Amino acid sequence: MNLRGISFLVSIAVRHLARRKRQTAVAVSGVAVGVGFFLAVSAMMIGSQNDFVEQLIEAAPHVIISDELRSPSPQPGTRRFGEGAVDLRGYKVRTEVRGIKGWQGIVEAANAVPGALASPSLTGGVTLRLGGHEEALAIVGVDPEVETKISTIEDQLRVGRLRDLETVQGGIIIGEELAARLGVKMGDIVAASTSSSKARSMRIVGLFRKGQAMISSNSGYVLLREAQSLLGRPFIINRIGIHLDDPYAAQEVAARLEQRFGYKAESWQERSSEFLSLLVTRNVIMYSVVSAILLVASFGIYTVVSTSVSDKRRDIAILRSIGFSERDLQLIFVLEGIMLAAIGVIFGWMLGYVLMEILASLRFPIAGEDESVPLDRSTRQYVIAAASSFIAGSVAAWLPARKAARVDPVDILRGAA
Amino acid sequence: MNPILEAHGLGRTLPGERPVVLVHDVELTIERGCFTTIVGPSGCGKSSLLYLLGMLDRPTAGSLLFEGRDMSGLSGDVLAQTRLARLGFVFQFHFLLPEFSALENVMIPMRRLGRLAPDEVRARGFALLAEMGLESKELKTPDKLSGGERQRVAIARALANDPALVLGDEPTGNLDSVSSARVVETLRRLAHEEGRAVVCVTHDLDIAALSDVRVEMLDGRVEKVTDQRAGR
Repeated sequence: MNLRGISFLVSIAVRHLARRKRQTAVAVSGVAVGVGFFLAVSAMMIGSQNDFVEQLIEAAPHVIISDELRSPSPQPGTRRFGEGAVDLRGYKVRTEVRGIKGWQGIVEAANAVPGALASPSLTGGVTLRLGGHEEALAIVGVDPEVETKISTIEDQLRVGRLRDLETVQGGIIIGEELAARLGVKMGDIVAASTSSSKARSMRIVGLFRKGQAMISSNSGYVLLREAQSLLGRPFIINRIGIHLDDPYAAQEVAARLEQRFGYKAESWQERSSEFLSLLVTRNVIMYSVVSAILLVASFGIYTVVSTSVSDKRRDIAILRSIGFSERDLQLIFVLEGIMLAAIGVIFGWMLGYVLMEILASLRFPIAGEDESVPLDRSTRQYVIAAASSFIAGSVAAWLPARKAARVDPVDILRGAA
Repeated sequence: MNPILEAHGLGRTLPGERPVVLVHDVELTIERGCFTTIVGPSGCGKSSLLYLLGMLDRPTAGSLLFEGRDMSGLSGDVLAQTRLARLGFVFQFHFLLPEFSALENVMIPMRRLGRLAPDEVRARGFALLAEMGLESKELKTPDKLSGGERQRVAIARALANDPALVLGDEPTGNLDSVSSARVVETLRRLAHEEGRAVVCVTHDLDIAALSDVRVEMLDGRVEKVTDQRAGR
């Protein structure tokens, strides 16, 4: 059939729908409500998910290489007699200095990956002491210049800047809550000590905002050199954080580095696999609810097309006698369903847009901050909503449309005569 | 003889526990330029035969040659296309689509065939309605037309794609005598002046008397074929 023929079938379908305005309106609003709420709900779900994943990704470096091994290195005996049964007794393990050996090479290799930037750091435990008050603290020694480029730490600071560590002798950045517990504020001096060294004075040069899930309230940042000397581990680092331009390449980059250097390299996906699987469940729930809404909407379309077919049996017979084929008739009624879906999608888009505007204007006080609902307003959701409505509409119309194709014109014509 | 349609041993039986024979073993030739009527008592199979000749129904026996081509066994789409391009139907009830104006009803077959440009379709629609004496009624919907007018719109629609064969199922059955005479005159003109083959089922013996060939049916069989043209 040519284009003129098809456009004519469309015009017949339009006439049929125009004749039954109320039913058409009901079916259209069913689709519109389905599409509108799908857009609003998915914008919220995906928005909050993106927000959450972004936090997961940006809270810590995308890949973290630590001075751990996933499995202990095999004993020389087992290595020598790989196939045999080796029984080792009374051996002593040499105490090794912990830390990443040859870390300069790893940093270099990591920096060689396109879009990657590596920052070496040393973490260790210290005790902060002020008066009679003691607080355990995990300190992270970093190079502020590189660290600001690979993490969002800078954004988490209430006051001060990471670079201040470089300019202040013995500078330290700790969390607001910890500072409150210790009763210190910006510029105050606290004593820091480890089990192996004597106390040293540190000056607070910055405070982290509270309620940052990804930064423990009991961690603090110091200069890498400072950490090395405080912990008594000069020239040693035990963590390399790697930032990637494409966070989703983290798994692959981590696997490659781990294979090459042997140290455990963890991607953000690995670190947060439980969270990610939780998100999958959330998505499954969301899409099932939305499918149910669209299913209900398609019942409306089914009803309209089905009654249209039974009402138009005489017209079907006339059109068949004129020379319309079974397929033409089927197409007319499928087109009715598609048109209902199309009009519904347009109204649904408008409804969804309005709902999203409303959601976007809402403000919630969370942890003292005025938060808005994170919304994902990408066109992808509009396309998904439209596509699923069209599919639901076509199927819902196709079922009764088959009946239209099966109408035997002779039965009708004979009956009318 | 200038045959357009030939039926050989044509039969139609409704299947079922007790099969019903609608049409049995019909031998019939329809000629171009000839007005043929099929007459017979109610239930004798006149309409069933007409639907078979019009390819709306499929025969269960025999064969049908249209313009020399055997139509039995062709797909529904091919038959539909043939009906669209070569055949025109007129029924007892006007059978116009209620949502469409007279003009639009006439345009339906042309628009479905898609051979003419939209403005040509429109022009031909107006011309056909004018030919049927329906000027100024073009934009009226069927419910605003009289019975005779509707039937003339239906004839105009049947002629839309310039069919070679026009089939009528009691086309005057529902009309008063004046309208009826006008319709019959039109059908005769289609045959004699335009060279189309016209076949009409009727129970009106006056109309049968005006036709060129009269086919008498009884119990699904063709009893008698009378050529009423002078000199034959």
